[in-house]
Amino acid sequence: MLLDNFYDIRDLQNLVEWITDPLNGQLAYVVAALLGCVAILSFIGATAIINIWIERRVIARMQARLGPNRVGPMGLLQPVADALKLIQKEVLVPRLGDVPIFLLGPMLIFIPPMFTFGVVPFGENMAYVNLNVGVLFIIAFTSITTLLIFMAAWSSNNKYALFGAMRVIAMLVSYEVPLVLAAMGPVIFAGSMSLQDIVQFQKDNFTMLVWIQPLAFIVFLLSATAEINRSPFDLAEAESEIVAGYLTEFSGMKWGLFYVVELVNAIVSAGVVATLFFGGWWLFGLEEWIPGWLIVIGKIYFFYFIFMWFRGTLPRLRMDQLMAFAWKYLLPVSLVNILVAGLEVTLWLRNDWDTGIAFPIFGVINAGLLGFLAWFAGRTLAGKMAEAPTRAHMGTPLGEIYRSPA
Amino acid sequence: MDDLGIVIAFWTLSGLTVGSALLIVVTRNIFHAVLALIVSFLGVAGLYVLLSADFIAVAQVLVYAGAVSVLMLFALMLTPRQARNNAANYLEIPGLLLSLVIGGLITVAAVSTDWAEVDDDRGFDATSRLIGEALIDKWVLPFEIAAVILLVAMVGAIMLVREDQ
Amino acid sequence: MAIQAEPLVVNVGPQHPSTHGVFRMKLTLDGELIQDVEMIVGYLHRSIEKLAEERTWTQNIPFMDRTDYLAAMTGNQALVLAAERMMGIQPTERAMYIRVIMAELQRFASHCMAVGTFVNDCGAWQTPLMYMLREREKILDLFEMTCGARITLNYMRIGGVAFDLPDEFVPTCRYLVDEDFPRRLEEYTRILIGNEIIIARSRGIGVLSAEDAINASASGPLLRGSGVAWDIRKADPYDVYDRMEFDVPVGYQGDCYDRFLVRFEEMQQSLKIIRQALDQLPGGPEKVDIPLAPFVPAGEYYGRVESPRGELGIYAVSDGSPTPYRFHIRAPSYINLSALKQMMVGHTVADAVVILGSIDIVVGEVDR
Repeated sequence: MLLDNFYDIRDLQNLVEWITDPLNGQLAYVVAALLGCVAILSFIGATAIINIWIERRVIARMQARLGPNRVGPMGLLQPVADALKLIQKEVLVPRLGDVPIFLLGPMLIFIPPMFTFGVVPFGENMAYVNLNVGVLFIIAFTSITTLLIFMAAWSSNNKYALFGAMRVIAMLVSYEVPLVLAAMGPVIFAGSMSLQDIVQFQKDNFTMLVWIQPLAFIVFLLSATAEINRSPFDLAEAESEIVAGYLTEFSGMKWGLFYVVELVNAIVSAGVVATLFFGGWWLFGLEEWIPGWLIVIGKIYFFYFIFMWFRGTLPRLRMDQLMAFAWKYLLPVSLVNILVAGLEVTLWLRNDWDTGIAFPIFGVINAGLLGFLAWFAGRTLAGKMAEAPTRAHMGTPLGEIYRSPA
Repeated sequence: MDDLGIVIAFWTLSGLTVGSALLIVVTRNIFHAVLALIVSFLGVAGLYVLLSADFIAVAQVLVYAGAVSVLMLFALMLTPRQARNNAANYLEIPGLLLSLVIGGLITVAAVSTDWAEVDDDRGFDATSRLIGEALIDKWVLPFEIAAVILLVAMVGAIMLVREDQ
Repeated sequence: MAIQAEPLVVNVGPQHPSTHGVFRMKLTLDGELIQDVEMIVGYLHRSIEKLAEERTWTQNIPFMDRTDYLAAMTGNQALVLAAERMMGIQPTERAMYIRVIMAELQRFASHCMAVGTFVNDCGAWQTPLMYMLREREKILDLFEMTCGARITLNYMRIGGVAFDLPDEFVPTCRYLVDEDFPRRLEEYTRILIGNEIIIARSRGIGVLSAEDAINASASGPLLRGSGVAWDIRKADPYDVYDRMEFDVPVGYQGDCYDRFLVRFEEMQQSLKIIRQALDQLPGGPEKVDIPLAPFVPAGEYYGRVESPRGELGIYAVSDGSPTPYRFHIRAPSYINLSALKQMMVGHTVADAVVILGSIDIVVGEVDR
């Protein structure tokens, strides 16, 4: 070991031997780990900066505006200008807040998305770690994000931030359950919680899990949207209601970090959805010609676009309505889905059915289940839509008081 | 335990766990105590990883750091503001006794256990499968009873806090 | 056994994204439920009523642009109507038609803003507001074409209007009200009305019964949303509204969704009125000549119009000099706000902004 002959450290040969020594090849691990970290970090950083521009441009397009188009070609340098502005701004710290925790919040907020990215495979052998419990790992660490948000909110000593914190926690408690249950659908079929194995399963069977588990996909997508606090589940920072929620007291680059992490979380969620339900780096054999990471990034941006689309089009629901949606609709529906998926997998494995025939049949059955639950349970479980006319009534003669006939 | 990396990781994680556990007791701010508790949970999860129990490690993060601490934060948020700094501590003596008893039990258990070495290559696979099979197969009755008890507790809690109509 | 929690007092505003200006509400909350609302106004007080006492009637017209800055035309109209009634001046035919066209365009623009911000308050991320601003922009372009200003117009005069319509006005306006706006409105109806989330957010929220609305002396869409068919344009016709054919939309339940529907329908009715006015638009001079600062006979006068927000009245007392002795603006935003507490108590914070948005206040008019 190096420690045994440290006096020889100036001898380069000694060091090289230590590095290349097959018994003590720990340094290789360290170097590989660092390289992987650098790769993930730079991917996150780059996507975060690009996403600011993409999100602003796409939403502007949806809103009949132009979006940023002044700084650099097509406004591409806008994120840089934003970042420069934010760095220059004064960081205000609330005097009566819990200052150390307040400063810690934006520092730690980047860690969970980085952790979760570690298990997302970008190619056949391109995952930072191929964890046996990858799916659970992702869910566990996204919940840590919520804790950090709570930390930031509570330490600001601000009532709006407190509202945001309360809503974040309530949403976490509610939406984590359907999220886990929906993620179990692919896991049951693939027989593994490792994301790499799930992709491999989809490749081996030449199908995307979304065809076999459409209900789980929709529940997962909705719950993931809630988990990352994006519209229409952006109650924690509902601008029109509680100013900026947990972000109210943050300014300058501290605010900027939260803002960027929000985009990164969306990317992570998109990546998980793409991996679990859409085959990750596999695309009907196309991955032989196109590098897998490009396919993954393409799929990630497809789902990121869907998240932006949600944001550009949907109004926000109220807290109690969202709670009701999670507990009364998503939870029972995903339980039914797990039951059906378990039955199907048991039948398939016990009878050793041919997957080429069994999976399309399962797909049809589950799609029927999705249609039935969306139609039936949507009407019975989630509460009825309020009666609402589509046009105002005409008030003639004048001066009368009009009341509904009921 | 002769692997340098494992040794470093073990002592770091142990120090983190014990240190933050001490911080929970020492700090006067409940909110800081909960945060230290979360760090402590995460340290324990790291120790599980060192023991090749990946499923338990992630479950520790998910259940303890993710859910239990969230419930504590929720309770914290619902307490009035004055309780943020817990000045008066009128349960000192019973708390001391209780922790002494628990500490004694853990010591006895640690001393009396036969710490056999296991093969290194027993490895990383399928702890979740083993746990699942054990829960559904061998221990299904206790598992179901626990589930029923939890359900009853939940219904009882809801009934207790429900407002009269 | 209920858990007793201390009420939490939250100040919404004066700098809050959803208070539509510098309006402040002091909410007393139990959890997220509102127990009490106290509204605090005056952050935008500019002492317009007092300033007006030092100026002649014509000089006071710009003040009316700055009270309700989203509907300057109707503000102008209220003032010139009151002044004309005091002086016994009859404006020209053409001027009266131009006023009606302008007032209805302004109503359309103002309701665009109201509907857009209302859906924004429901939580949409700016998209409907941007669409609505696009329509409003076209109307502001028309105003700019006519009088050079877009927001603070200062267009109407005692005895007429400041400038005649330019030649391009009528074809452009016709294109907008005949083709463009109906098509857009149909699109927005498809997007917004019947939208499940908007219904969930606004149906049954902020219910104001007809009796309460009358007792609060509410007016405009707030009153009509509660089911009272009342519209100054029909009840006390001014200019040439008695020659126009239009309907007064009402809601049955008096909730936020009803007010939203009433505004939407009023936009349709405005287009109908503009179409008729354009058809009937006569020629002739656009104003009658009056002295620069005419002496006004002593007495008390009241002129009122239906502004987009309700009954906008000018109550003026004259002592025979060219300047008013007392100049009072009956601001519909301010009086509609008095029903705020009735509507809000028992709802959540999230509903509070929706309710406030459904009243559609303009703080410039609340504080004056």
